[in-house]
Amino acid sequence: MGELGLEAGNGNGNTYSLRPGLQQRFKPSIVKECIRAVLKEKLADVQYVPEEMPQLTKSLSEIIKDRLKEEGFERYKMVVQVVIGEQRGEGVNMAARCFWDADTDSYAHDVFMNDSLFCVVAAFGCFYY
Amino acid sequence: MEGDKRRTKEDTWKSEELRKHLPATQPKSQNEDKKHREKKLQKEKVVHDTGTHKDERKDRGKSKERTRERLKSVERDRDKMKERERGKEHHKERDRERYQDKLHGSSLEKERYSVPKDKDRESNKERDKMHKRHEIKKTDMQDNLKSFEGKDKEHHRRREKSRHRLEEEKTSGEERERRHTGKKDNNTKSSIDALLADKVGVSERGHKLQKDKELDKEEKRRYREKKEHSIRPVKDRLSKERSHKSYEEEEEERHKSKRSKEESSRGDRGQPAEDSKRVKSGENKKKKLDLKSSEHKTEEGNQGEEMSHERVRTGKDKGEISEKEKRDTSQEEVKATHIHNSDRELDNFSADYEDDFEDYEDDFDDYDEDKSEEGDTEDKLREIHFSKTSEIEEIQRAINAENDRICTSLPQKVRNEKPEPVVERQYPPARNSFRGIFMDFETANQRQSSQSMASKQKKRSAELLPLIDLDFSVSFSLLDLPPVNEYDMYIRNYGKMNTKQAYVQCNEDNLDRDIQTEEVETLEKWTQHPGESALVSGGPTNGQEMTANGALTPKIDSQRLANFLLSAGQVIAVLLEEDQAAAQPRWKLRSQQTSLSISDSCFQLNTNQPFLHDRKISCLYVSQVQRQAVLSVHGLPEKAGVALLNRKSIICVWNIWQPSSPQKVLICDSEVLCCCFSPSKTTLVFAGTVDGSLLVWDLREDARMHPHVTFSETDWTFRVPTFSTDGILNSVNHTSPILAVEPISTPLYADQNYGLASLSHQEEMSGPPFQIASMDENGILNTWVVVELQKVDLAGSQTDLGLIPGGKVKLVHSSSMELNCSLFPKDVRLRMPQMLTVKFLPSDPNHFIVGTNIGLVGHGTRHDLKVLPKLFRPRESRMRSISINAIDFFPFGKSLFLVGCSDGSIRLHQMTSEYPLMQWNDSTNGQPIIALQWALTRPAVFFVLDASSNIYIWDLLENDLFPVAKQTVPSENVVTMALLGEPEKTNGLLGIVLASGSGEIDIQHVKKKWAQPQPEESEKLNLILLQSF
Repeated sequence: MGELGLEAGNGNGNTYSLRPGLQQRFKPSIVKECIRAVLKEKLADVQYVPEEMPQLTKSLSEIIKDRLKEEGFERYKMVVQVVIGEQRGEGVNMAARCFWDADTDSYAHDVFMNDSLFCVVAAFGCFYY
Repeated sequence: MEGDKRRTKEDTWKSEELRKHLPATQPKSQNEDKKHREKKLQKEKVVHDTGTHKDERKDRGKSKERTRERLKSVERDRDKMKERERGKEHHKERDRERYQDKLHGSSLEKERYSVPKDKDRESNKERDKMHKRHEIKKTDMQDNLKSFEGKDKEHHRRREKSRHRLEEEKTSGEERERRHTGKKDNNTKSSIDALLADKVGVSERGHKLQKDKELDKEEKRRYREKKEHSIRPVKDRLSKERSHKSYEEEEEERHKSKRSKEESSRGDRGQPAEDSKRVKSGENKKKKLDLKSSEHKTEEGNQGEEMSHERVRTGKDKGEISEKEKRDTSQEEVKATHIHNSDRELDNFSADYEDDFEDYEDDFDDYDEDKSEEGDTEDKLREIHFSKTSEIEEIQRAINAENDRICTSLPQKVRNEKPEPVVERQYPPARNSFRGIFMDFETANQRQSSQSMASKQKKRSAELLPLIDLDFSVSFSLLDLPPVNEYDMYIRNYGKMNTKQAYVQCNEDNLDRDIQTEEVETLEKWTQHPGESALVSGGPTNGQEMTANGALTPKIDSQRLANFLLSAGQVIAVLLEEDQAAAQPRWKLRSQQTSLSISDSCFQLNTNQPFLHDRKISCLYVSQVQRQAVLSVHGLPEKAGVALLNRKSIICVWNIWQPSSPQKVLICDSEVLCCCFSPSKTTLVFAGTVDGSLLVWDLREDARMHPHVTFSETDWTFRVPTFSTDGILNSVNHTSPILAVEPISTPLYADQNYGLASLSHQEEMSGPPFQIASMDENGILNTWVVVELQKVDLAGSQTDLGLIPGGKVKLVHSSSMELNCSLFPKDVRLRMPQMLTVKFLPSDPNHFIVGTNIGLVGHGTRHDLKVLPKLFRPRESRMRSISINAIDFFPFGKSLFLVGCSDGSIRLHQMTSEYPLMQWNDSTNGQPIIALQWALTRPAVFFVLDASSNIYIWDLLENDLFPVAKQTVPSENVVTMALLGEPEKTNGLLGIVLASGSGEIDIQHVKKKWAQPQPEESEKLNLILLQSF
């Protein structure tokens, strides 16, 4: 019956890991380096072309997400946000705010700029309990 | 892990289920052969079941069941259903038995009918009051029936026994099952819930038991009734009809009330849970699908039978069905059926009864058919034939349509149906289950698994959430890109063309540094060397004394200190000068060279200043009170010199102890003919010029008020006059060159004016007020009051136009005298005497004597008093044009004065006599006398300078006819001579200041024999003077 599973869960006494291991913890510095490397590689001589940017942001976010998964942050949900904008002299201000468990969750971001565009990448890591 | 457990539980459940079903199925198989006979009874019984079902449905519709209870009672209801089914089967069997019994020996049963009833009632009494009441009614009714139906009782009793046995068996099975569900409840729900559920379960059990028993009784009753009906035709059917009818109605009523009570008792828990339970336990259901299917089949069969019975039976029941199923369908029909009830019932019952007998076999076949397939419609169609009235047909048709509608709409509804309203959900649990089996289980399986996962996760989250602290992070600034200003934009776009930008920072080495240092601590110590006593050094030893000294400092009289510093500074300057003179032999050498025979030593005032070159000295003046202060008047230069001083004459103020340089240098625009110090202090210098102006210099003035000229790295201050009468006071001012300026000394004034003493004391710096007399060539004698201003006006005075801005001293004209008119008689006045010099009597400043160019000396007073003699004449009475060049009063108190004339004669006059006491005519060999002066230290000695630079020394005690010494100043044209000396002191220092035509100033220290005062010299002089008379 349906309740059996829950019974079993209860009877056994669940052990939840509330904190990631020291090795698996989301390390902003590493993530930042990772982001930076990707951005340097992919955006070195890219000019801002409005038509290409949506695809570029998607591919960048995918690449970065995959890289981050390789870093071995176990039980982390990775959210990668990529914003590319044109550099025309306008002021830009971006900010983020999170509702999370500050002990485990963290974020890293990096900014890449060249003459024609700027690219802001923010990667958020949320721990699965 | 959980799956395993579940499995095991399921297994156990299955086994139990199996066990439960075992007694249900076994009797069925055993009694299968009886079915044929009992078919009618079965039908009746099933009608009751459906009635209860209907009740349930209604209940649900009426009461919106509480979901919790629903959930809890899911399984229970299901069990109930099964039990009910089982019960039905039992009933069937029982009925079959009963029927057989009835067929064989109904009389026995009738007789014993009441007894088992009572037993039954007793057994059930404690559980249900309602039931009891019902039973009592029944018994009453049965008593009525007893008389007719005695033979049935036995049969009944027998049957009851067997039924009781079966019931016990069944209840034991139920109990087991309930225990099982209770256990399950305990496991799944939390402890409190489980407790509640247990309670509910217990009550539920009670209710179920009650219901079952009630059903049984109901069956019995029906059976009885039918029997009655069947028997009635045999016996007095007509006679009993009425009572029977009433009984029927009664029963109907009872039935209804019972139903309502049942509703209240068990309506709130129940049916909807069935669905949820079915969803939940989809797996389990699947596993025991075979079991259930068989169950369902039987149910289905029953249902079919039930339905047929329903239709065949009374319109009343049908009306109820329609009422409960539809609710919205016509009430009229129901009423109509009710109305028809009484008439129809009899016929129906009898017909039914016979139908039952006739169609028993058919029904049995139907039952078999029902097992293989759903036989609703067929049954219905078949049964419609039995209906005799058109109303019934209509109603049945309506029901058919209703059913069909529900049947078609049901499968979809069942799927998404949890909180579904009553009618549809409740109505066909058995019939519907058959159709929905496959779809339901498949989808439900998925749903259940997903739901279990969801609930697992939900639980997990519920457990985790208290452990986790979620919070809002501070907002991270991901990017802050300020807008580019226009210049940068311009530079970015255009700035790279042919341009290069560079930045330079200048003035890098211009740095400011602040340094803070500790305050220097100082301590005062004094020492004495060489040590005159044991104590040679000392001073404050601690801070207290220091502070004491500090407290004392305000007592210092700053004025006194300033005076002290001034004089001390002078002294030290003099000492330094002397050291310098000693170190530089040039001075000595020269002085030795130029020293005269009359002098021990000599030195020179350093007139070798750049601004004094080529200037002749016209006048010398030695202060009466400060004998070291000397004024020298330097005339206009012969050739143009420094631009500033080109057209100016200069007065130098010397301190003879500092011969290296003049103390102060005064300048004025016109040539100065005469000058003098202020009488009490050497702070003011007065000078008369050739253009008739009288000038005043205030030596205390700040040097910054005056022009500066730098000569050979020395900064000289050239003081301009503080006050000048030039151009102002024209009515009283001199119009001809001023020949003489004399201070009018104030000692007598001070004595006379006691009233002014306080005033005079206020002006400390300048001393008592005094007057200045100036006389020009025309014989006009002006007296001026020297006024010292209290306030300094740096912007210059509006009224005192002669006053320098910032000056403090001015002259106010006091009086003016025409000496020619006042002094001389007519005969003398005809000679047009010209005034040359004027001297005031030191002992009485009111009196003055005036030297003229006719050899006469006039005597006057400032207030035109008559004085005698009016004139002092030479020995020879005739008037000659002899100018009086020098006059000098005797400095030792006696009113004597010497007069030096241009013919070389020297006269010694007494103030009281017209003619001189002595007269020496040829002492200078006819050379005009330029200057003569009493020695300041010896009363009997005077010095004479003639025009040929000869200095004669007269010592009247030694020789009253000729000078005792004559000294010719070599190679120098001595212009004028003045004597230095301090009469108050007896050290015998006496100096002669000689100004040469070349502008040099020599100071000769007269030899001791002429300078050292001799004892009783004044008396001897008096004797000599007396002898001369």
